[in-house]
Amino acid sequence: MKIKAQIAMVMNLDKCIGCHTCSITCKNVWTNRAGAEYMYFNNVETKPGVGYPRDWENQEKWKGGWQLDGGELSLKTGSKLERILKLFYHPEQPEMKDYYEPWTYDYETLINSKRKNHQPVARPRSLITQQRMEIKAGPNWDDDLAGGESARKDYNLKKVAADITLEFQDIFMKYLPRNCNHCLNPACVAACPSGAIYKRDEDGVVLVSQDACRGWRHCIPACPYKKIYYNWKTNKAEKCTFCYPRLENGLPTVCTDTCVGRIRYLGVILYDADAVFDAAKTSDEKNIYFNLLDIIKNPHSPEVQAAARAEEISEAWIKAAEVSPVYQIIKDWKLALPLHPEYRTLPMVWYIPPLSPIMKAVEDKVYLPKSDAMRIPLKYLAELFAAGNIEVITKTLQRLLDMRTVMRKKEISEPAPQNLEFEIGEYEKMYRLLGIAKYSERIKLPAGLQGKTHEQLRELQGSAGYVCPGGFC
Amino acid sequence: MSEFFWGALPYVAFTFLIVGTAVRYSRDERNWTTKSSEFLAKKSLKYAGPMFHLGLFMAAGGHFIGILIPKFLTDGAGIDEHLYHIIALAGGIPAGLLFFGGFFLLMQRRFSYSKMKVNTSKMDAVLYLILFWAIATGCLATALNATGILGDFNYRETISPWFRSLLMLQPDVSLMENVPLIFKCHMLAWMATAVIFPFTRLVHCLSFPFEYFCRSNIIYRKK
Repeated sequence: MKIKAQIAMVMNLDKCIGCHTCSITCKNVWTNRAGAEYMYFNNVETKPGVGYPRDWENQEKWKGGWQLDGGELSLKTGSKLERILKLFYHPEQPEMKDYYEPWTYDYETLINSKRKNHQPVARPRSLITQQRMEIKAGPNWDDDLAGGESARKDYNLKKVAADITLEFQDIFMKYLPRNCNHCLNPACVAACPSGAIYKRDEDGVVLVSQDACRGWRHCIPACPYKKIYYNWKTNKAEKCTFCYPRLENGLPTVCTDTCVGRIRYLGVILYDADAVFDAAKTSDEKNIYFNLLDIIKNPHSPEVQAAARAEEISEAWIKAAEVSPVYQIIKDWKLALPLHPEYRTLPMVWYIPPLSPIMKAVEDKVYLPKSDAMRIPLKYLAELFAAGNIEVITKTLQRLLDMRTVMRKKEISEPAPQNLEFEIGEYEKMYRLLGIAKYSERIKLPAGLQGKTHEQLRELQGSAGYVCPGGFC
Repeated sequence: MSEFFWGALPYVAFTFLIVGTAVRYSRDERNWTTKSSEFLAKKSLKYAGPMFHLGLFMAAGGHFIGILIPKFLTDGAGIDEHLYHIIALAGGIPAGLLFFGGFFLLMQRRFSYSKMKVNTSKMDAVLYLILFWAIATGCLATALNATGILGDFNYRETISPWFRSLLMLQPDVSLMENVPLIFKCHMLAWMATAVIFPFTRLVHCLSFPFEYFCRSNIIYRKK
């Protein structure tokens, strides 16, 4: 057992209102620079929908993630030799039009326009070419189903389309905020020919070294979540950094800090690094979730703690792992699931699947419906979060429903329901963490990796570490 | 004058190439990249990119053989002048076509898309001009030489030994005396390329990821 520490995130989709605050604050901090205008390290999608970049879940097209090749794990994008040939032209690399062409408006005309019969108009202008452009699509143009066209193109629906009709009375939707998953078995790291992408030993954050990156751009198709971006101006790859300068100081990521719905949880988990490949290698992709749970070790166990100390993990980190809200949600209560575990990258951003209103078809006087009577089809959620395993989704949603039932019975002074999975006290804790969701309880981060003071960090504000010194680019 | 062109200038070029590249690598690695533009215009790169690079590899291989392997070695192996030139042309003609064709398509792509124009620096433009000069003089010189217009000139008895004498640090300028002008232009082209090399995107050729074959999939790195 080789214990490593990892900062993991949980998002409670039950409470996401799709306000894009996380995307905007992230953008303002990290990607409002030339060459990065089109990037959203964090974006919020409406599901079903095509997402950003369009159709990112279609791995037939992008060849992202891992596959089993004769029992061995290999990158879907090809062997090392095949990928060397792709250095000269990568057939699976997304291009700008798969995201969108960023634009601004000619606001000046509103001020400088001469007296005319008609109101002056601020017309759109491309941020790339600085020429006038016609806007065809943006990064979130399928928000709230947007007329339903893009919902029908959802890749997950194609797999289970037979009985999900998207008829008006049965239509459903939910929000899915996405940032880099900081995977335990990251495909981007494995695909980088220069070895520029690495997983940090101390906290598991996956970073691109801006010095070592050579712009071979193989990480971009290899990441199945399309969460690595190509900066067309500096010609290097960029990605969500988990706001590591903040993490190092014990502060949460910007998206977590600014989430108005308080849906995000951050904490430390301890995992067995020796078991990572075997966990990803299982023949049945429905088991990946269970394997992932297995390699996340109990931070209260003296054995695990001793192994962590042997790897020089500090006491502060072990303590943080013990009180980790993320561990509690993922492991103790099994309320959170990884997004598309079948990509075999073992993602470390987890999602609590959303409950939803009752379907029209079964509408009656039920106050809390059974999980299979809810509007979002279990099959669809299972495609997203459980590699098609409906049982896992049903159980997870049932735990959330049990919590609601327990709290409701308590409020109206009725006896608690029978046949519960956990003690009543556990549901009350669950309610406190998910419902009340205090900042100090959602975020438990150890500080101290960084010697820099906040004042020193502030001097770098706006450059985000991507500044391009010299004049060669 | 010929001392300057064939005795001094090559070393100026080598110095720029080696010192410039080392300085750029150590002081400005942040800008060391392939400068790939596939993200901005993908379709037009599909054939142009691989064509250009394949042609370049073939041409580089041909130059390596023609310049670094002395004539007495191939003579000793029983390859006479006629056979040598047939082999050289069999590799050289497709190489030239791919190289020049790829270059033409790449230039067309670069200067016809508005997005690509934005991504073309002044240094890129200078580089393309010098590359054009090098490829054009190279192809033209080979064509003229093969058709016999240049008389009984043999670069393996003049240019190649001269280049090897440069590498031995004992430049023999007299070897370049009777070299036709077009070949001399080609010599100046490689020197110009070597001089600007460290300041352009060309540096990415030094980053060919050989080490990728030997490393493990996942890299952990301490802060």
